[in-house]
Amino acid sequence: MSATATAPALVVRGLTKHFGGVYAVEDCSFEAPSGQVTGLIGPNGAGKSTAIDLISGFKLPDRGTVLFKGRALEGLPPHVISRLGLIRTFQAPREWPGLTVLENVVMARWNSGRESFLRGVVGLGRAQRGTAASELVRAREILDEFGLANLRNERAGNLSGGQKRLVEFARIRMAQPELVILDEPMGGVNPVLGERMALAIEAFVATGTSVIVVEHNLPFIERVTQHVIVMALGTVIAEGPFESLRSNQDVIDAYLGEVVQA
Amino acid sequence: MTNYIVSILTEGAIFGIMALGLNVIWGWSGDFDLAYYGYVAVGAYMTIVLTVGPAAAPAQYILGLQLPYPLAVVIAVITAMAVGLVVGLIALRHLRGIYFSIVTLGAVYVMYVFAGQYVPLFDGYNGVFGLFNPMGDWFGLDIYEYPWFLMGLCLLMFALVFLLMWRISGSRFGMALRTLREDERAAAAFGRDIYRLKLKGYVLGAGVGGFAGALFAAYLSAFNTSAWSPVEIIVLYSAVLVGGRGNIWGVALGVLIMGLLVQESTRFLPELPGLGELNTLHPEVLLALRGVVIGLVLVLFLRFRPQGLLPERRFVDKQPVLDTALQTA
Amino acid sequence: MNEALLTLGFALVTASILALSAVAFTLEYAVTNVANVSHGEILTVGAYAAYLVHERTGNAIAAAIAAALAGGFAALLMQAAVIGPFIRFGATPTIVFIATLGMSFVIQNTLVIFFGAANVAYTLDPGAPQHLGPFLLTPLDLEIIASAIAITFVLYLIISRTKFGKALRAVSQNRELARVTGINATRVAAATFFLAGLIAGYAGFILAESVGSFNPYFGFSFFLITLTAAVAGGLGKAFGTMVGAVLVGIILEFAGGYISASYNLAFAFAILAIVILVRPRGLFTNARRTVFE
Repeated sequence: MSATATAPALVVRGLTKHFGGVYAVEDCSFEAPSGQVTGLIGPNGAGKSTAIDLISGFKLPDRGTVLFKGRALEGLPPHVISRLGLIRTFQAPREWPGLTVLENVVMARWNSGRESFLRGVVGLGRAQRGTAASELVRAREILDEFGLANLRNERAGNLSGGQKRLVEFARIRMAQPELVILDEPMGGVNPVLGERMALAIEAFVATGTSVIVVEHNLPFIERVTQHVIVMALGTVIAEGPFESLRSNQDVIDAYLGEVVQA
Repeated sequence: MTNYIVSILTEGAIFGIMALGLNVIWGWSGDFDLAYYGYVAVGAYMTIVLTVGPAAAPAQYILGLQLPYPLAVVIAVITAMAVGLVVGLIALRHLRGIYFSIVTLGAVYVMYVFAGQYVPLFDGYNGVFGLFNPMGDWFGLDIYEYPWFLMGLCLLMFALVFLLMWRISGSRFGMALRTLREDERAAAAFGRDIYRLKLKGYVLGAGVGGFAGALFAAYLSAFNTSAWSPVEIIVLYSAVLVGGRGNIWGVALGVLIMGLLVQESTRFLPELPGLGELNTLHPEVLLALRGVVIGLVLVLFLRFRPQGLLPERRFVDKQPVLDTALQTA
Repeated sequence: MNEALLTLGFALVTASILALSAVAFTLEYAVTNVANVSHGEILTVGAYAAYLVHERTGNAIAAAIAAALAGGFAALLMQAAVIGPFIRFGATPTIVFIATLGMSFVIQNTLVIFFGAANVAYTLDPGAPQHLGPFLLTPLDLEIIASAIAITFVLYLIISRTKFGKALRAVSQNRELARVTGINATRVAAATFFLAGLIAGYAGFILAESVGSFNPYFGFSFFLITLTAAVAGGLGKAFGTMVGAVLVGIILEFAGGYISASYNLAFAFAILAIVILVRPRGLFTNARRTVFE
């Protein structure tokens, strides 16, 4: 990993969370470099999803800090963290099923002014209408890019698993966060779509969004990431470029041979 | 006959406003709120105690300020919204699904008990009365002309509320509410403050309910706990369900259908063989039969058409599709 | 202090009836994951059945049995006609909840059609009150409490010792998993509802003659208190529910003594709301809550 002059996108230090008597995450610390794709891998039960929940505000940590753009995130509710520029996806695709695909993408950008009740009644001001119109154009462009233009008026709940993931990616593109955390994006998706998703992730980085990807699909991790963090039993056991981990004994032990096969 | 039609249309407009308010909370935010009718009642009670004079013993009730009707309505709506805020602050903080429904059921029950038992408030079981032909004297209407005026007023108010809902439905505020219903976690991940947004929707719904209650008070000229009967409440919720939750045209249709069902079943059920005498001997039996019909309609719709007759409309983008590479199959 | 103990004694009677009703409700919830809003109607049906049989035969035991059987069949019908089909069709819990609300309305009105809406007086001779330690209870009160304890004990044996009980526990913990191991979840649900109905029907009988009168709506108002006890004990946990019932019964009885009894139900709901807000999984589980946890 080359030393970068820019600050890391995300700094996690000593993150800890327990449920009952079990530590799901224990003293987890890592940094995700800015402008890159960072992988977060580990066997089942390693605490990856809990760590994401803690970072994004969906669960409260017992201890530890999360630094994003110089701000401490721990204790903040998820919507505040999202508004700061950190968006996460979920293990199952979480589109808004009753809304159309286009509506799903348009609603990815939160805007306090345009979403107020007052504006709901009175309608948008001229400047706001301009912004809304250009956002609609942008949404269509993004859907085009993802090949979803034909489906834009379709109820998002009717889409296939892979298509729903693409809608999620379209939403990320629309929202343009500084950091996106993808929670097992390949889950339930036909491996055929893997390359398209990899390209989409590269496009994120190209447009200024740093990426953290949690995945079990190791070839996919190898394909998209520049830096990989390995978790096991709630804490980080190794990090580095993917190739360097193949021969890392701790990692091999944790996976019991899975890495060697990849 | 015309009197019959005038009162049907007036009541229909009032129930339509009620249903539109419920639609905000149940249809758009997606919360099955059983406290809703309580806000209607608050609106009705408050309107009356604000417009009539001080209580004459042995009756007891609060206020009695003899305010002009429009001002009383405004205050009543604000009161309903305040009550809704209190309930919402508690119920919407952590609860969803049936836990939310159960707590709101509790809230409406507490409201019902207080209104009906705590005499200094609204004279307990007797309720309050005396709101005769509000604004009638402004236009010099006699008692034959007034019902027409009230009908016109209620229909106009229904149209205004419908327009308000139509605007909200197509706005980002309305869409934001619906994202909460569709998937709360995703909504939070994309920047929506769930608690605050739900509260806004809830208080809005409560306000509309209170407004309907204020008009209801003018129509009935009185209000007490017998106007809170389960039948009214089930008909209201069934209207929203049968017509189409989330679709304001559906809700209007639902009110029409349930209204017709209630009216017609009250009329033609006694005409079925044998039920005529039963009606005179035990009038509650016929009402109970009507109740059975309404309950069955509700259950059947829940089973076979839970989205209602007119499902929610979506924004359909009519722009031509650009042709690019990477089209999904 | 004496007065407090007296009130406690009365509370035990209320708590006994409440415990039976609440544990029946909890059984229904455990096996279907549905809060059955028409649960109260099972008690009402039981009360009517008991009254009718008692009128014909003059025999309280026959009345009790009639109440239990009527309750059992009513509950079975609810499960087979409404709750079961809705679950199979994949309805969300809220939809089934509303359906049971509708069903409750239908049943209440059906009872009005057949029996009229008026109050029906129903009393058994309670016998002379006797001092039992610090409590002042009639023989009837004692019978109620004793029967509640006996039924609870039998239920405990059924759940923990029999094959059916095992299947019930399996289905309540994980319906799909139970199916995979060969258990017929629907049949277990039906049998559980019948069992719950037996208990609830009997509860309706003792409640009716404990209060002294009943009408088509009386089960529903008692349901609201039942719900409080069931949620306090933890939805789906039979024995937590028992404790919840005793607590709620005691609180209500004391509150009813100092505040007017007509506020009883409102008070019950206040308790319910507080419990749900502070400990939504019941008083006996430790649950941290954000909306997302």
